[in-house]
Amino acid sequence: MANTSGKATALTVLSPIVNQIIDGKSCADITRERCYRLPIHEKSPLAKVPNTYLARLFVLDNVYYESLTASDSIFNFSEITSIFSDSARLKALPRKDQLKSKYLVFSTNFHGDLDEYLTGMWEKWSYDDNGQQRGVQHIWEHCVAFDGVKDSSSFISYMKRCQLDATLFFNGSTDDSLQEQLKSLYLKQEFSKFAAANQGKSAADLQQAFKVFIEKVQPENLDQPSWVPGQSTP
Amino acid sequence: MSNIAGKAYAMNVITPIPWYKVWLNRLIFWAALKIPNVLNGLLTLSLIHYARWVIIPRDKFPRLDPSQPKEDLNYSYMLFFSNFNGSWDQYVDSFTFAIPSGLDLFWKMNVKYPKSVPLTPFHNYIQHNQIDTAHYYNAYPMAASNDVKSAKNVKKALIDFNAASSNKSPDEFLEDYNKLLNQLQNDFGEMRPTPIVSLAAQAVKERVMEEQRQSH
Repeated sequence: MANTSGKATALTVLSPIVNQIIDGKSCADITRERCYRLPIHEKSPLAKVPNTYLARLFVLDNVYYESLTASDSIFNFSEITSIFSDSARLKALPRKDQLKSKYLVFSTNFHGDLDEYLTGMWEKWSYDDNGQQRGVQHIWEHCVAFDGVKDSSSFISYMKRCQLDATLFFNGSTDDSLQEQLKSLYLKQEFSKFAAANQGKSAADLQQAFKVFIEKVQPENLDQPSWVPGQSTP
Repeated sequence: MSNIAGKAYAMNVITPIPWYKVWLNRLIFWAALKIPNVLNGLLTLSLIHYARWVIIPRDKFPRLDPSQPKEDLNYSYMLFFSNFNGSWDQYVDSFTFAIPSGLDLFWKMNVKYPKSVPLTPFHNYIQHNQIDTAHYYNAYPMAASNDVKSAKNVKKALIDFNAASSNKSPDEFLEDYNKLLNQLQNDFGEMRPTPIVSLAAQAVKERVMEEQRQSH
């Protein structure tokens, strides 16, 4: 199991979707449409879930059949015998799999502890859907056994029942909290602008401008000013 | 559908692996964690924010209620999730050119894996097994993974400089300031919304237009 790398955690959740039709639409399609309609960037409900670096949702409808021609085996017995027999040739093909349920897949990379993160998901996830405020329940509503989820602790238990462990988790980023990362990005942006705008100034003028700049950006104040989670414009 | 959130691309790939080879694949991943050289190859691909491999044994797909049909699968499955900067081609090709042997080790046990070299069969394999993302969220859509790393350097250097030099004489301040700028040359750069560089661009454009239409 390798769900953590440094202070970053990888959560992978596969929630089976109920195999039913409601008003002519499958529950999987309803769930997929709800995911499509989530607002993006700073308006995404995930922007409100503390310490979410990157996250995604999709519906796994089925697995793929490997009809490709390549083979990675040096010696494959069935492919040798298949030269002499049609039935052996057919048996050498990969087997065909069909999933019996469709799954809502949620994959997130976040900073910190899993229980705290899931509590944040339950409490903070909200977005405007054509004038209606929606919680996290709206996305998971048609998943098997989700009707038993009533509060943050049952939500945590539910997500853990659907959780799959990562075999290998690679963290190519810094190990800082999201708040720290966003403040750093804000400072990089503002200081890059400052350096470009103040070229050629006299030493005294530059020093004065720098003092004003530091008062404005407050480098050690993580709360503000900073970028907001999901900020998509400068 | 959107595989893109700002500068990040979300890749999801699901591939079958014979159930009796799963232990071998786990052993390879375990070794990769223990032998730093293997993961160092991934570190050279600084365009990656986070990536993960998840193996689902064929009898371990979550089943939460007796009413849910039990899966009856021939194969176990390996899920690969990645968050990277740039286009699909840039990413897949950079894997091939930077860590072809490591990549082959990770997927070697998978059914019909063609190896990462040459490129075309590998592209076909990934495309064949890729699933599009329905909702992708990125906490910093304007920033690449390298921006996040360089921003950390900028913050630390700025705080240190402010503490050490802001109250010096103007000439000494200027000298230190110029040193600071030299030190941060590779970390500077304004960040802006991305030029979209992949096939999902149209999907993103349509969704943004739809969002704007709804807000009017």
